[in-house]
Order: sequence, then structure tokens, then C-alpha cells
Amino acid sequence: MALLEEPIKEVKVLKNYIGGEWVESKGEIVDVVNPATMKTIAKVPISTADEFDAAVQAAQAAYPDWRRTTPLARSRILFRFKELLEENFEKASRIQTQEHGKTIDESRGETRRGIENVEVACGIPTLMQGYISEDVAHGIDEWCMPTPLGVFGIIGPFNFPWMIPLWSAPYAVATGNTIIIKPSSEVPNSQVLLAELAEEAGFPPGVWNVVHGGRTVVNAMLEHPGIKGVTFVGSTPVGLDVIYRKCGETGKRVIAQCGAKNFMTIMPDCSVDNTVASMMTSFFGNTGQRCLAAANAVIVGEDDDFYKEFVGKVVAAASKIKIGYGLDESVQMGPLRDRAKKENVLRYIEIGLSEGADLLLDGRNFTIQGDYPDDCFIGPTIFENVRPDSRLGSEEIFGPVMSIMRAKDLDEAIRITNANPFGNGHSIFTQSGAAARYYQYNVVSGNVGINIGITAPVAFFPFSGMKDSFFGVLHTQGKEAIRFFTESKVVIQRWF
Amino acid sequence: MALNTCSEGISFARELEEAAAGMYERLAELFPADAETFRGYAAANKKNVSNVERAYFGVITDALEGCYAFNIEPEDYSIDVSLPEGTGRAEALAKALAVEETMLRYYQVAAEQSKGLMADVPRAFTLVARKRAERIEELKSLAAR
Repeated sequence: MALLEEPIKEVKVLKNYIGGEWVESKGEIVDVVNPATMKTIAKVPISTADEFDAAVQAAQAAYPDWRRTTPLARSRILFRFKELLEENFEKASRIQTQEHGKTIDESRGETRRGIENVEVACGIPTLMQGYISEDVAHGIDEWCMPTPLGVFGIIGPFNFPWMIPLWSAPYAVATGNTIIIKPSSEVPNSQVLLAELAEEAGFPPGVWNVVHGGRTVVNAMLEHPGIKGVTFVGSTPVGLDVIYRKCGETGKRVIAQCGAKNFMTIMPDCSVDNTVASMMTSFFGNTGQRCLAAANAVIVGEDDDFYKEFVGKVVAAASKIKIGYGLDESVQMGPLRDRAKKENVLRYIEIGLSEGADLLLDGRNFTIQGDYPDDCFIGPTIFENVRPDSRLGSEEIFGPVMSIMRAKDLDEAIRITNANPFGNGHSIFTQSGAAARYYQYNVVSGNVGINIGITAPVAFFPFSGMKDSFFGVLHTQGKEAIRFFTESKVVIQRWF
Repeated sequence: MALNTCSEGISFARELEEAAAGMYERLAELFPADAETFRGYAAANKKNVSNVERAYFGVITDALEGCYAFNIEPEDYSIDVSLPEGTGRAEALAKALAVEETMLRYYQVAAEQSKGLMADVPRAFTLVARKRAERIEELKSLAAR
């Protein structure tokens, strides 16, 4: 099948977007590499703390006017923004594939999910309404209204370069705040396009800013007294030890959505073919690089025949997955984002073998569809007889590795699942309502799937997370995001 | 090689529609008496593409099985839209009928296999299949005239 056209055709040095201007950075310039072709597609600056400070000043300067802009007027800009996102839907999707490596279907899904958050934020005139009580005492009325806070920082991860900043950004600006987005320096092009479209939509200068970079920018964001809050999606060590702690020290609001090790419980009464198809998407979709990807399959029951037949179907389906460049529409799994991530997955395969797990499908042996270097590619890997407390069975791998384990009954499956320190997106596959209800009640997980392999909440629900998968109180998306980006002002009124 | 991804399934539908539209435009030139009907078919084919694509782009999500939606052998749905010089009306209509029947089968299978996706996608395929069935009846009566 012919490749879809690549939208990025020439290598450009990306600029920061500060105060409505595209500004060259003085920082070091690093390559952005397409992991399928290993070709450089852009050069991105690692901006300095001074450049971040300039963005904060621009965002602070824009804040008073933007706060005074009526919610209806802000929503009109968001509606224009949404229209522009639709017009650029395919371009945005192909950029994601080009810079991240995911398949075009996955990228289009990511684009759509991002736009849905803009659509929800368009409802800000009603979403941001407060409440009032008349006569709380004789002749005294009292009301509570959500008010914006100022400048927020948004730290984007590499695995969803377009969508994840959109879990926060539309709500932050809709509520009257101004923002500075720091995209992942591995995948910055998506956020450049988004900022270009924000500019075209008519956000006033300084409302929407982008500063490229790495640790220096993150540290500057966490230290800066002008930043009122930070949203972050990334690993648990960074989320807990850096983002959450530092925001606590500096008194910033924080949402830190972190790592995961998601368990999929498979009951013997599940719809087998549908479950297997869901497993392919959940374990191997986005090449396993999503915090809602399943990692462990817990097959319930002592029926060896069911177990063998089911696992046989899973291995057969995974063996057929087409691997290649995501702009080839027939490809079902793209590469990992970079060589280091592939090395990490390879290391876990070795760890699994050394821990005594049995390798049913070896992702080290694979065929790439098309003529591409194998630097970042790897095939689906399946282990069985994995101990839940082993490193393979308990640590986040962030790659296409399935670990199969068995539980004698549902209680044991839930015990195994809850013993893991993460609690992001566990799921159950069953035809029994009673089993599903028992599972969702007892499993400790921010997002729970019932016959759903990727438990990604739609934009008007919070993207939850529990235990070591989340640090904070409120979550991104929907009403919780509105609350995160506003604080309650209570007015008590009496007239003489 | 089998079509597996949603993107492939949609692109294949577009290929079929565009090829068939080209055939109807040629038929309109060859048989002026029925030109209006054939041009209408060609226009409707283009509309089918935009309806199916609108449904797909409008609801695609990374959370469902987009990369594993289909298992369709494209060879089973290849269509012959060639109209060599001297093709008579009866022969041309028989060819158009064969094209439509093949496309009807494709849309029916695509609707069935995409049931696991958001409802808009199988609904769009079903709608086009229904229109195709109606067109088949029209072509049959055209051939009988």
C-alpha cells in the first residue's frame, strides 16, 4: 500500500511562541527524528530559563485583559479554534505519525480526542457559572463564583504529542487563565501546529504560549513564582519526586498523571473473539506506549483447556500484526519512539527470561513492512507464567509486552491487581453483570474498563488515576479541569 | 493482502466509489439518452465517499479497535470498470450491475465487521449499502427498457 503524504517536508528550526510572536531560542538545538525512517524532520531548541521567564511575563501581561474577556467571547474564539482544528485534522494526524511513529488510525483517534476537549470547553459560559443562596441570614445573600488564577504551565509527554496538552489547555484558557505549554522535545511539531492554529483562531498575544525544552524549562516552571499551577503527564518518578513535591514546596496547584501497570482480567465466560481483538489494541496499540495500555493479562479459572485455547488465539492474533511506518494505512503497529525506549523493552524481555517466565512470542524477531531501518521497531512480545511480583509482572515497561498470569477465581485476580502499586486503567472481560459489578467495586483503579481494553474517559469525564498513577486532587478534562483552573471566591452581601 | 485497519477499509471504499464514478461519467458520454441518470450516479458516488469519511473522521477514537476493525480480502471486491470502444448499451449496463453488486457486498461486509467501532461507522456503511441496493433495481429496470 502506498504511503500517505508526509506533511513535514523540510527540516526547520522550531521557534518558541511567546506573547504572540514566534521567537528564536538561544538554547542548544537538537534533532527531532522520525522513528520509522530515522530521518531528521525538525530541529528543536532546548530553551533557557530566561526564555521561559519571558513567556511568563508575556502570559502575565495578557492575563488581566483575558480574564475580563467575557466567557461568551472566549468561547467564540474556542469555536473558531475548533473549526481550524477540524480543517487541519488530517495534517495534525500525519504530523503525529511522522514525529511519534504511531499508526495513522491511532493518530486520527488522538486528533479527535484532543478536539473533543475543545468542544467541551466551548461550553464555558455555563460550565463556569457559580451558585447563590438568598437570605443566608436576615437580609444577607451569599454566592460562590469560580475565578481564574493567572498563568498555568502544561508539560506534555512524548506518547500523545497532540492530545494530552489538550486535556488541560482549552479549559485553562476558557476559564480566563493564560498558559505556557512545554511540549516533549521528542515530538514538538504537533504543539507548533496547535499554537499556529490558536494564533489564527484569535487568542490575544500572550494567552497561549509555547516554550520548547527539557529539564531547564521544567525546573523554571516549577520554581517560577508567576506560575499558579502545573499539569504534567509522564513517569511516576518524575511526577512524584519532581513535579508533585516541587509544586507542594512552591505552593502551586498540580495535576501529575503518571505511570501505570494495567491489569486485564479475563473471565472464562468472556466473548473470546471480541476480547482478543480488544487485547491487540490495548496491549500493542500505540506500540504499548500509553498509560492506559494493558500490560498484564490475568486469566481466571482452573480450566486448562480454556486457558490453552484462549492463549493460542491471542498469540495467533499478535503474530499477524503488521509492523511498519504508520503512514502506510495497512500498518497496525509502528515503532517505539526512539532507540532508548527499544533498549528498555529489550532489557525487560531479558529480565522476563531471567525470572523464569515463558516466552510465547518473541518480539525480537519481527518483519517490517517496507524498507525501514529497524532501530526503533520491535514486535509484539507475549510471556506466560509471569509472577505478579516479578519485575516483568510489576514494573512499567511502556512497550508492546504482554505478561500472562493465572488466577483461580475473580477474588484472586482482584487481589493480584490491587497488590500492584499502580492504579490507572484496569479492566475486566466478562459476560456476567455480577462479576463486572463486583470487579468495578473492588478494584482500585482510577479508570475501570468493562469489556473495554483502553479505559480512556471521554472529554466530559475526568481522566482519573489512583495510587502511584496519580498525584494531586483534581484531574484533567471536563468539570474537574474547570475546578482545577479556577478558585472559588465567596461573596457575602448585606445592604443597609 | 487483507484489509485490517479502519483507514484501509475507508480508503478502499473511496477507491471503489471513484472508479465506479469514472465508469458512470464515461457511460454518460457513451449513452446520451441516459446521461442524466449516469451523471447522477457519479455524483452520488462522490457523496458516498464524503458521508463515509465524515462518519469515520467524526468518531474515530484510539480507544477502540481501529487497527483491527476489518479482515477483508480486497481481491474479493475487485471491479471491472473498463468500457472498451464499441461496448453496447446492454453490455455496459450488465457491467455496471456487476460493479454495483460487488460494491453492495463490500459495504455489507464492512458494516458487519465495523460493528465494534463507534456506531456512526457501520451506520454509514449500511446507508451506502441501502442506496446501492436501490441503484441495482434502477439499473435492472434501465436494462429492461
